[in-house]
Amino acid sequence: MDALIARTPQAFLAKQNIRVHTGHEVTRVDPQKQRVLVRDLHSLAERWEGYDQLLFATGARPVRPPLEGIDCRNIFDVHNLVSGSRLRKTLDELRPRSAVIVGGGYIGLEMAEALHLRGLKITMIQRNAQVMPSLDPDMGERIGQSLREKGVDLRLGETVQGFAQRDGLAVAVLTESQVIPADLVILGLGVAPNSELAKDAGIPLGVKESIRVNELQQTETPRIWAAGDCAQSYHLVSRRPAYVALGTVANRQGRVAGINLGGQYATFPGVVGTAISKFMDTECARTGLSEREIRSLGLQYVTGRIEGYTLPRYYPGSAPISVKVLAEKGSARLLGVQIVGGPGSAKRIDTAATALHAGFSLEDLLYLDLSYAPPFAGVWDPIVIAARMALKEG
Amino acid sequence: MLIVIGGDAAGMSAASQVRRLQPEADITVFERGPYTSFSA
Repeated sequence: MDALIARTPQAFLAKQNIRVHTGHEVTRVDPQKQRVLVRDLHSLAERWEGYDQLLFATGARPVRPPLEGIDCRNIFDVHNLVSGSRLRKTLDELRPRSAVIVGGGYIGLEMAEALHLRGLKITMIQRNAQVMPSLDPDMGERIGQSLREKGVDLRLGETVQGFAQRDGLAVAVLTESQVIPADLVILGLGVAPNSELAKDAGIPLGVKESIRVNELQQTETPRIWAAGDCAQSYHLVSRRPAYVALGTVANRQGRVAGINLGGQYATFPGVVGTAISKFMDTECARTGLSEREIRSLGLQYVTGRIEGYTLPRYYPGSAPISVKVLAEKGSARLLGVQIVGGPGSAKRIDTAATALHAGFSLEDLLYLDLSYAPPFAGVWDPIVIAARMALKEG
Repeated sequence: MLIVIGGDAAGMSAASQVRRLQPEADITVFERGPYTSFSA
């Protein structure tokens, strides 16, 4: 587990002279007096500390609906090193044979793989009619198929209502119509920003209660900044504020905040909604907007789809890849790309993410000078072929 | 005096940038958990 820790508090102090107090919680922020109330979680002693500048990097937390039995000790969210190692310890000690995963998004998918590899019998419950709801239904179905092929029992259109329990352990997940026995329950219901401390200090919030910031990462309260999973982002494709809780965004926003706090100048341009995941041999990725998101903006769009191969078909390791391209009708402005396929598929999304940052149209994609040799790709990149298909549609 | 609330990706990226640009800056990070900067 130590390998997962990029740098310890001791290293921060020794190498960078940054004092990091772990086990210390800030419980109040007083913007008028420019001070924070800090509680030492071991001694419970509290003290005020003054600041010239203050950065909120308070992160996000897993959503835990207030359901009957949710505090059973075999119900887990998987959010950080502490929750991950607690889960691993339980897996080793309780030796569960079956697990119910509540939620078919990124966490659900990754946990399905981890538990499948440990040999558990998995049931996945998803409120929507598809898994991976950030993908369009036709692309999400391909992930669903892959889960079923590996023996995952998918229950779509089911919402968890509570948990049957015995001696502090959940024994079944209850939905409106079903009782699903479980030795172990994993919750993957998304996250919410840790913004209460900011809200209590009078700092304005934005989308999904995230802390509202400008492109320098400044809040609307003087001398107070925010970055990472607690802060709002701007979506470059929808051209609207958005909330995206991802480590990559956190690193970039943190860097921008730090440069400005350090007396230089930097701006965070925004996000295009790129994400990637996999279940066993099936990879998936998305960037930009999905059909549902495009429709909610009131935009008209065209679609291009291609069923291709990651490498020339004759080449060893060639795997199927499905690509879907969405663009604005008329202007042909690229709006989104989704990929599902075998090994080597998903990381190709980065071409599309770059194109979205650059504001590309479908035509701009057609003659890109992309890399080609048989060990790496086909002559025409599947994203380019899908863009061509979308252009034909108008 | 810069105070950072939270010692993971965003907080530690910011703190490291400030240190790089201002060798003398006074930087304190408060993290309620037991770890900093883990991979997730």
